Amino acid sequence: MDKKVAIVGIGTTGFRATTPDVSYRELTYEAATKAYLDAGIEPQEVGAFVATSEDFLEGYSISDEYSPDQLGAVLKSIHTVPGDFIQGLGNGVMLIMSGYADIVVVQGMSKASNMVTKGDLLTFAADPFAWRPLQESPHAIAAMEMNRFLYESGNTIEQCAQVVVKNRRNALLNPRAALGAALELEDVLNADPVAEPLCRLDIAQHADGAVVCVLASQEKVGSLKGNPIWVRDVSWATETNALDSRTWGEAVYMQLAAEKAYRMAGIRTPAKEIDFAELNDEYSYKELQHIEALGLCAWGESGKLSEIGWSERTGEFPVNTAGGCLGCGHLFELDGGQKVLDAVLQLRGQAGELQLKTANTAVAAGWRGVPTTTGAVVVLGN
Amino acid sequence: MALIERLQNRPDATYWPGKIPMTYIYTAGRAGEAFFKKLRDSGKFIGARCEDCDLTYFPPRIFCECCFNRIEGNWVNVKNRGVVHTLTICHETYDDKPKETPSIVAFIRFEDTDGGMFHRLGDVDYEDCYIGMPVEAVLKPKTQRKGGILDIKHFRPL
Repeated sequence: MDKKVAIVGIGTTGFRATTPDVSYRELTYEAATKAYLDAGIEPQEVGAFVATSEDFLEGYSISDEYSPDQLGAVLKSIHTVPGDFIQGLGNGVMLIMSGYADIVVVQGMSKASNMVTKGDLLTFAADPFAWRPLQESPHAIAAMEMNRFLYESGNTIEQCAQVVVKNRRNALLNPRAALGAALELEDVLNADPVAEPLCRLDIAQHADGAVVCVLASQEKVGSLKGNPIWVRDVSWATETNALDSRTWGEAVYMQLAAEKAYRMAGIRTPAKEIDFAELNDEYSYKELQHIEALGLCAWGESGKLSEIGWSERTGEFPVNTAGGCLGCGHLFELDGGQKVLDAVLQLRGQAGELQLKTANTAVAAGWRGVPTTTGAVVVLGN
Repeated sequence: MALIERLQNRPDATYWPGKIPMTYIYTAGRAGEAFFKKLRDSGKFIGARCEDCDLTYFPPRIFCECCFNRIEGNWVNVKNRGVVHTLTICHETYDDKPKETPSIVAFIRFEDTDGGMFHRLGDVDYEDCYIGMPVEAVLKPKTQRKGGILDIKHFRPL
């Protein structure tokens, strides 16, 4: 990138299974307050805002009109990206690189506990001709993808279960995580089947929370306090919504997004040049599939590497150090926000008990969940 | 400023229930009309051919997603035979309730096409199903067919 952009502030509510004491707007307000304090700015200094949301997730039509005030964005430029937080981050980066603003704020929020009929919501994301009339669980799509991924890559169900054990244990040490737990492999393998081979514990449970991130141009960074984390590049890609023409085994969307982000960031051998990854693990197999799509190991090797502790916090290449979706919670479009948050804290050396010894370059990657084939990737460095 | 005080008692949490009572009709479009009418009236399948890309879309479309050419009318007959590309057995309904009878669901690649179909498998036990299993569609009788995906009862092993 010819103009440099840094994350100069980040704030979060942390993630909880329910948040009955606050409205969804107050969740964002709390995260925004912390982000502005972290960056040492007032919202009046912000040139533009980017919110990420979906009408049906929030339960409002035209929900983007409800996003300014809780960010301090009234009478300012704001637009909503109906996509993952990292896609919103990419929009923020573009606003700075184009010279539109020097300071840009990116917001993401999940109030999953407000949504009583989540199954209906996901079913309404399905094609009304080819899929919806069958009224099968949306998890069936993930289960079929998992089956094909395991079949083609040679990874195993046990190796997927190992991901669950690791991420929920990591979350035990994360004060912001909703779902920390000390599980054994057998606990995961013996859990109730949902859509085989997916069982209950392979699927991330929903959580509430918000993340707000302050971006600044290189020129502005000097006049701000704190510890800038540089956005080395950001990219995203979508394959197809069509079940009949999508790739079932590999996460091609994530591979394309990663290749572009690495190319622009000048990264040639990601496993060597990157120290750790925070990536989407909404289903256990997704961590393995995304590790391979991000080029962090060879095709079909992620499972074996996970078994020998490669992706543990103490391993050669830590993945989801703070618990990922399985440990923090499934946050819908905030998925990438949790990933960016934990990458930033590691890169700043502020990850507490989770802190890695070496954390200079990170990759964060979000997926928009079933039935999408959209992935977003950002490379961050300190 | 952040939140100074927080709610202490959960029963004090005020909420307002809301529903989104919206109804839609989705038009099948030109390719959908051709596909579903053929299925309803003659119990046969068609796909759409893009010669430039050497791709056969199934179900058919009026444009190629690769070269973006218009391929409307390039319909080709597609045999009622395919193989299981991937599969699962669902123990829960779409709204997370346990199913009395689990359903076997598969993505089936149709012979001589680059597409396929998501549907249920029947007349078979899950234990006997596998990736690569040849299957065929079992259709409802003509009098019960309405021009939709449910005109197919399920797929069964060949």
